Amino acid sequence: MDSSIHRIIVLVGFISLFHSAFSAAQHRTYLRITSQEFTTLPLDIVLQAVLSLFAVMWGVLNVAGNLREIPAAAELNNTKWETQRNLPSFYIFNHRGRALACNYVPSPSKSDLDNLE
Amino acid sequence: MSAIVKSKDNKPEPIAYSDAALRNNAAVVEYCRTSMAALSGSTAGVLGLTGLYGFAFYVFAVVILWLMFMIKAGSNWNKYYKSRQSLLTSGFFGALFTYVLFWTFIYGMVHVY
Repeated sequence: MDSSIHRIIVLVGFISLFHSAFSAAQHRTYLRITSQEFTTLPLDIVLQAVLSLFAVMWGVLNVAGNLREIPAAAELNNTKWETQRNLPSFYIFNHRGRALACNYVPSPSKSDLDNLE
Repeated sequence: MSAIVKSKDNKPEPIAYSDAALRNNAAVVEYCRTSMAALSGSTAGVLGLTGLYGFAFYVFAVVILWLMFMIKAGSNWNKYYKSRQSLLTSGFFGALFTYVLFWTFIYGMVHVY
Protein backbone atom coordinates (compact mmCIF):
# COMPACT_ATOMS: atom_id res chain seq x y z
CA MET A 1 0.00 0.00 0.00
CA ASP A 2 2.70 2.42 1.08
CA SER A 3 4.95 1.33 -1.75
CA SER A 4 2.25 1.65 -4.39
CA ILE A 5 1.71 5.32 -3.48
CA HIS A 6 5.41 5.94 -4.01
CA ARG A 7 5.28 4.06 -7.32
CA ILE A 8 2.50 6.41 -8.41
CA ILE A 9 4.62 9.37 -7.29
CA VAL A 10 7.51 8.09 -9.44
CA LEU A 11 5.22 7.60 -12.44
CA VAL A 12 3.58 11.03 -12.14
CA GLY A 13 6.94 12.68 -11.62
CA PHE A 14 8.32 11.01 -14.76
CA ILE A 15 5.35 12.13 -16.82
CA SER A 16 5.70 15.66 -15.45
CA LEU A 17 9.42 15.66 -16.25
CA PHE A 18 8.72 14.54 -19.82
CA HIS A 19 6.07 17.21 -20.12
CA SER A 20 8.45 19.91 -18.99
CA ALA A 21 11.03 18.60 -21.49
CA PHE A 22 8.46 18.92 -24.28
CA SER A 23 7.53 22.37 -23.04
CA ALA A 24 11.17 23.42 -23.14
CA ALA A 25 11.54 22.04 -26.67
CA GLN A 26 8.39 23.92 -27.73
CA HIS A 27 9.69 27.12 -26.18
CA ARG A 28 12.95 26.66 -28.06
CA THR A 29 11.06 26.19 -31.33
CA TYR A 30 8.96 29.28 -30.65
CA LEU A 31 12.08 31.36 -30.05
CA ARG A 32 13.61 30.02 -33.26
CA ILE A 33 10.52 30.91 -35.32
CA THR A 34 10.25 34.40 -33.88
CA SER A 35 14.05 34.73 -34.17
CA GLN A 36 14.61 35.77 -30.58
CA GLU A 37 17.69 35.04 -28.56
CA PHE A 38 17.55 32.27 -25.92
CA THR A 39 18.33 33.50 -22.43
CA THR A 40 16.46 31.39 -19.89
CA LEU A 41 13.42 29.16 -19.83
CA PRO A 42 10.14 30.52 -18.47
CA LEU A 43 9.83 30.16 -14.72
CA ASP A 44 6.91 27.70 -14.83
CA ILE A 45 8.87 25.17 -16.89
CA VAL A 46 11.86 25.47 -14.54
CA LEU A 47 9.64 25.02 -11.50
CA GLN A 48 7.84 22.05 -13.01
CA ALA A 49 11.10 20.32 -13.92
CA VAL A 50 12.72 20.85 -10.52
CA LEU A 51 9.62 19.89 -8.55
CA SER A 52 9.07 16.73 -10.58
CA LEU A 53 12.75 15.90 -10.03
CA PHE A 54 12.19 16.14 -6.28
CA ALA A 55 9.04 14.04 -6.52
CA VAL A 56 10.77 11.27 -8.47
CA MET A 57 13.77 11.32 -6.14
CA TRP A 58 11.53 10.98 -3.09
CA GLY A 59 9.53 8.20 -4.75
CA VAL A 60 12.65 6.29 -5.80
CA LEU A 61 14.07 6.65 -2.30
CA ASN A 62 11.03 4.91 -0.89
CA VAL A 63 10.66 2.37 -3.67
CA ALA A 64 14.32 1.30 -3.37
CA GLY A 65 13.63 -0.62 -0.18
CA ASN A 66 13.72 -0.31 3.55
CA LEU A 67 16.86 0.48 5.44
CA ARG A 68 17.80 -2.10 8.03
CA GLU A 69 19.23 -1.31 11.41
CA ILE A 70 22.97 -1.89 11.36
CA PRO A 71 23.80 -2.74 15.01
CA ALA A 72 24.31 -6.50 15.15
CA ALA A 73 21.98 -7.03 18.08
CA ALA A 74 19.10 -5.03 16.59
CA GLU A 75 17.44 -7.90 14.80
CA LEU A 76 18.33 -10.51 17.41
CA ASN A 77 16.40 -8.51 19.99
CA ASN A 78 13.18 -9.09 18.11
CA THR A 79 13.43 -12.89 17.86
CA LYS A 80 11.12 -14.85 20.13
CA TRP A 81 11.97 -17.67 22.47
CA GLU A 82 10.26 -20.19 20.19
CA THR A 83 12.52 -19.12 17.32
CA GLN A 84 15.65 -19.36 19.44
CA ARG A 85 14.73 -22.79 20.72
CA ASN A 86 13.93 -24.17 17.27
CA LEU A 87 16.92 -26.32 16.37
CA PRO A 88 16.52 -28.26 13.12
CA SER A 89 19.39 -30.60 13.96
CA PHE A 90 17.43 -32.00 16.87
CA TYR A 91 14.22 -32.76 15.02
CA ILE A 92 13.07 -36.36 15.59
CA PHE A 93 10.99 -37.97 12.87
CA ASN A 94 11.32 -41.66 13.61
CA HIS A 95 11.56 -42.49 17.30
CA ARG A 96 11.77 -46.10 18.31
CA GLY A 97 9.48 -45.40 21.28
CA ARG A 98 6.47 -45.59 18.96
CA ALA A 99 6.82 -49.39 19.01
CA LEU A 100 5.43 -49.24 22.55
CA ALA A 101 2.07 -47.89 21.34
CA CYS A 102 -0.78 -50.45 21.32
CA ASN A 103 -1.86 -49.68 17.73
CA TYR A 104 1.64 -50.07 16.36
CA VAL A 105 1.95 -52.01 13.10
CA PRO A 106 5.55 -53.03 12.45
CA SER A 107 6.85 -52.06 9.07
CA PRO A 108 8.33 -54.84 6.94
CA SER A 109 11.87 -55.59 7.89
CA LYS A 110 14.76 -55.63 5.51
CA SER A 111 14.82 -59.43 5.19
CA ASP A 112 11.10 -59.44 4.18
CA LEU A 113 11.80 -56.94 1.46
CA ASP A 114 14.64 -59.11 0.19
CA ASN A 115 12.38 -62.18 -0.02
CA LEU A 116 9.83 -60.43 -2.23
CA GLU A 117 11.99 -60.71 -5.30
CA MET B 1 49.49 -3.04 35.10
CA SER B 2 47.42 -0.02 35.91
CA ALA B 3 48.73 1.76 32.82
CA ILE B 4 47.51 -1.09 30.63
CA VAL B 5 44.10 -1.00 32.22
CA LYS B 6 43.96 2.74 31.75
CA SER B 7 44.86 2.56 28.06
CA LYS B 8 42.17 -0.05 27.62
CA ASP B 9 39.65 2.21 29.27
CA ASN B 10 40.50 5.08 26.97
CA LYS B 11 39.49 3.15 23.87
CA PRO B 12 35.92 3.66 22.71
CA GLU B 13 33.83 0.59 23.07
CA PRO B 14 33.75 -1.35 19.79
CA ILE B 15 30.33 -1.56 18.15
CA ALA B 16 29.34 -4.72 16.33
CA TYR B 17 27.54 -4.09 13.06
CA SER B 18 25.42 -6.56 11.17
CA ASP B 19 27.11 -7.25 7.86
CA ALA B 20 23.93 -8.14 5.99
CA ALA B 21 22.17 -4.98 7.14
CA LEU B 22 25.17 -2.83 6.17
CA ARG B 23 25.25 -4.33 2.69
CA ASN B 24 21.50 -3.94 2.32
CA ASN B 25 21.70 -0.25 3.25
CA ALA B 26 24.67 0.30 0.93
CA ALA B 27 22.71 -1.26 -1.95
CA VAL B 28 19.70 1.00 -1.26
CA VAL B 29 21.93 4.08 -1.12
CA GLU B 30 23.70 3.10 -4.34
CA TYR B 31 20.41 2.55 -6.15
CA CYS B 32 19.13 5.95 -5.06
CA ARG B 33 22.37 7.67 -6.02
CA THR B 34 22.36 6.22 -9.52
CA SER B 35 18.71 7.14 -10.03
CA MET B 36 19.35 10.62 -8.66
CA ALA B 37 22.29 11.13 -11.02
CA ALA B 38 20.27 10.08 -14.07
CA LEU B 39 17.21 12.12 -13.11
CA SER B 40 19.03 15.29 -12.12
CA GLY B 41 21.11 15.01 -15.29
CA SER B 42 17.89 14.85 -17.31
CA THR B 43 16.52 17.85 -15.43
CA ALA B 44 19.70 19.84 -16.01
CA GLY B 45 19.43 19.03 -19.70
CA VAL B 46 15.80 20.14 -19.79
CA LEU B 47 16.67 23.37 -18.00
CA GLY B 48 19.42 24.00 -20.53
CA LEU B 49 22.18 24.49 -18.01
CA THR B 50 25.66 24.92 -19.43
CA GLY B 51 29.11 24.98 -17.96
CA LEU B 52 29.60 25.34 -14.24
CA TYR B 53 25.90 25.88 -13.61
CA GLY B 54 25.33 22.23 -14.49
CA PHE B 55 27.92 21.05 -11.98
CA ALA B 56 26.48 23.36 -9.37
CA PHE B 57 23.10 21.76 -10.04
CA TYR B 58 24.67 18.33 -9.50
CA VAL B 59 26.03 19.37 -6.12
CA PHE B 60 22.59 20.77 -5.31
CA ALA B 61 20.94 17.46 -6.23
CA VAL B 62 23.45 15.47 -4.16
CA VAL B 63 22.74 17.63 -1.11
CA ILE B 64 18.99 17.31 -1.65
CA LEU B 65 19.29 13.51 -1.83
CA TRP B 66 21.36 13.54 1.35
CA LEU B 67 18.70 15.63 3.09
CA MET B 68 16.05 13.16 1.90
CA PHE B 69 18.06 10.29 3.39
CA MET B 70 18.24 12.19 6.65
CA ILE B 71 14.48 12.81 6.58
CA LYS B 72 13.82 9.14 5.86
CA ALA B 73 16.06 7.92 8.68
CA GLY B 74 14.63 10.42 11.12
CA SER B 75 16.38 11.55 14.27
CA ASN B 76 18.07 8.21 14.94
CA TRP B 77 20.12 8.08 11.73
CA ASN B 78 22.86 6.35 13.73
CA LYS B 79 20.89 3.14 13.55
CA TYR B 80 21.00 3.05 9.77
CA TYR B 81 24.24 4.72 8.61
CA LYS B 82 27.73 4.53 10.01
CA SER B 83 28.50 8.15 9.18
CA ARG B 84 26.64 11.03 7.60
CA GLN B 85 29.69 12.48 5.88
CA SER B 86 30.44 9.32 3.93
CA LEU B 87 26.78 9.16 2.92
CA LEU B 88 27.17 12.62 1.40
CA THR B 89 30.48 12.10 -0.38
CA SER B 90 30.72 8.41 -1.29
CA GLY B 91 30.39 7.70 -4.98
CA PHE B 92 30.37 11.41 -5.80
CA PHE B 93 32.48 11.20 -8.96
CA GLY B 94 31.10 7.87 -10.08
CA ALA B 95 27.59 9.30 -10.15
CA LEU B 96 28.94 12.52 -11.73
CA PHE B 97 29.75 10.60 -14.93
CA THR B 98 26.21 9.25 -15.11
CA TYR B 99 24.98 12.78 -14.53
CA VAL B 100 27.08 14.25 -17.35
CA LEU B 101 25.93 11.49 -19.72
CA PHE B 102 22.25 12.23 -19.15
CA TRP B 103 22.82 15.98 -19.03
CA THR B 104 24.46 16.13 -22.46
CA PHE B 105 21.99 13.67 -23.97
CA ILE B 106 18.84 15.46 -22.83
CA TYR B 107 20.35 18.86 -23.57
CA GLY B 108 20.96 17.71 -27.12
CA MET B 109 17.46 16.27 -27.42
CA VAL B 110 15.66 19.32 -26.05
CA HIS B 111 17.76 22.34 -26.95
CA VAL B 112 19.83 21.43 -29.97
CA TYR B 113 17.48 19.42 -32.16
